[in-house]
Amino acid sequence: MFRTRVGDNVLIVTSTLPPVPLDADRPQSASQPPVVPRWVIASFLLGGALFLAIAAFALASRTGHEGPSDAGGEWAGRVLEPAQPRPSFILTDTSGAPYDFEAQTRGHLTLVFFGYTNCPDVCPVQLATIAQALQKVDVPVEVVFVTTDPARDTPERLDSWVHSFSRDFIGLTGDQTAVEAAQQAMGATVAVAQEPNSRGDYLVGHTSGVFVITPDDRVRLVYPFGTRQEDWVRDLPRLAKAQWPDPSTERPS
Amino acid sequence: MSWWCSATREPWTWAFRAYPGIWITMLSLIGAYVWAWHRHRRRGLPVSPDDRRKRLWFGLGMALLWLATDWPLGVLGAGYLATAHMVQYMLYTLVAAPLLLLGIPEWMVRPAVERFQLEGVLRRLARPVVAGVGYNLVLLATHAPFTVDTFRTSQLGSMALDVVWLLSGLLLWTPLVSPLQELRHPSPAVRCVYLFLAAGAIAMVPGGMLTFADFPLYRTYELAPRVYGLSASDDQQMAGILMKIGNIPIVWTVIFVIFARWATREWRPASSASKVPTPASER
Repeated sequence: MFRTRVGDNVLIVTSTLPPVPLDADRPQSASQPPVVPRWVIASFLLGGALFLAIAAFALASRTGHEGPSDAGGEWAGRVLEPAQPRPSFILTDTSGAPYDFEAQTRGHLTLVFFGYTNCPDVCPVQLATIAQALQKVDVPVEVVFVTTDPARDTPERLDSWVHSFSRDFIGLTGDQTAVEAAQQAMGATVAVAQEPNSRGDYLVGHTSGVFVITPDDRVRLVYPFGTRQEDWVRDLPRLAKAQWPDPSTERPS
Repeated sequence: MSWWCSATREPWTWAFRAYPGIWITMLSLIGAYVWAWHRHRRRGLPVSPDDRRKRLWFGLGMALLWLATDWPLGVLGAGYLATAHMVQYMLYTLVAAPLLLLGIPEWMVRPAVERFQLEGVLRRLARPVVAGVGYNLVLLATHAPFTVDTFRTSQLGSMALDVVWLLSGLLLWTPLVSPLQELRHPSPAVRCVYLFLAAGAIAMVPGGMLTFADFPLYRTYELAPRVYGLSASDDQQMAGILMKIGNIPIVWTVIFVIFARWATREWRPASSASKVPTPASER
């Protein structure tokens, strides 16, 4: 409350505002605190940095899957030039019956992988990755696993191992000669078994790539170890829709 | 022989693996602590009962730090399971770091702070906004797929990640349990809100991204030899859930303790308040 004398009367003025200083219209001196406290500015800057970091994390976490419309882009597999015809060989499936590969898979998009059930690293990772990817795309694909270790991979063992990844996967075995012939027919390097250790265990050196045969019965691509789920999910629908790579324009990624 | 845990792509086994670099680092930290105590006693300086209790906190902190870094958890986290990676991270930042801070007496830190004139820097870092944002920036940066896939494949990179995690944990807890009293925030309410936002709320964002991602984000863990058949997607979901809710027990327990102590002090009769000394951990 402020009092102002006007003539002989006393005028009483009430206000909640503080009295305005006489020098209010002068510019503030450098010693006075700024209008916006520094801690507010710092908080906004740090908060902004945090927001940007979250956004960057989200972007970095985004997968490269762009869907089937991405046809014509890069392929995760190596494009074979020239594409080979679908090979023909007969092996034994997990029920013990003969399996004519060429006849059984003709006209289907087919993935063929050569490995062995005692493989400690590459084989289970490749099959698990493909199995998980196939759960995310609605594409008819035949996945065929051919053992490179027929001495240990009996039909029964193959049955339990291959089907632990997917009930739809096909496991094939046979005698050593037939298995080697199948690898040669596919254009794969023939696997070599190492010397057994004292416990009788041994590793088998084999090609780690997955061969892709397109529905036009051509072996067109080899997907190396390291191919990820998102790569398969991006590429398989395109391959199923006959949008396979043109060797003259594609470069292996 | 490897000196620090990193991703190797070798099949997982429970066979023991020695990592001399980890041993040397841990023993050096313990040795420095013991030496500081020894020098303090030799000078005949006083040791309070509270200081003696700090040795227990430090020992526990070092044990957990070692557990999180070395075989088997360190190996699993570096190259096999995103879940183990997340357990490591939480042990570093939410368990080992506060225990180490609680375990360091003031007389051990203050001379170094004064000698290297670190008061100003530490005061700035200990501001809740700075500490909280700094901690979460490290969280986001060190869990980005590029960072994990790049750093975890080399021993030096893997060690750098571990060190950064520990430092970010120390930063997070400094406003709450710093050995230097002046760095602790005085307001219990601010401390509770700070801990909830800094250690609880922000982590839910990347945790959610990991949980609900369509594909495995980390190449390191997706292409690692499988451990007990756990798929890469399931592993990543578990890691994401852990990141989202794994901190809840710790954060809310600490918030409860801060609140209970504050309430006890506030509601204590004035006569008894003057007689009862301040709790040791609050000093």
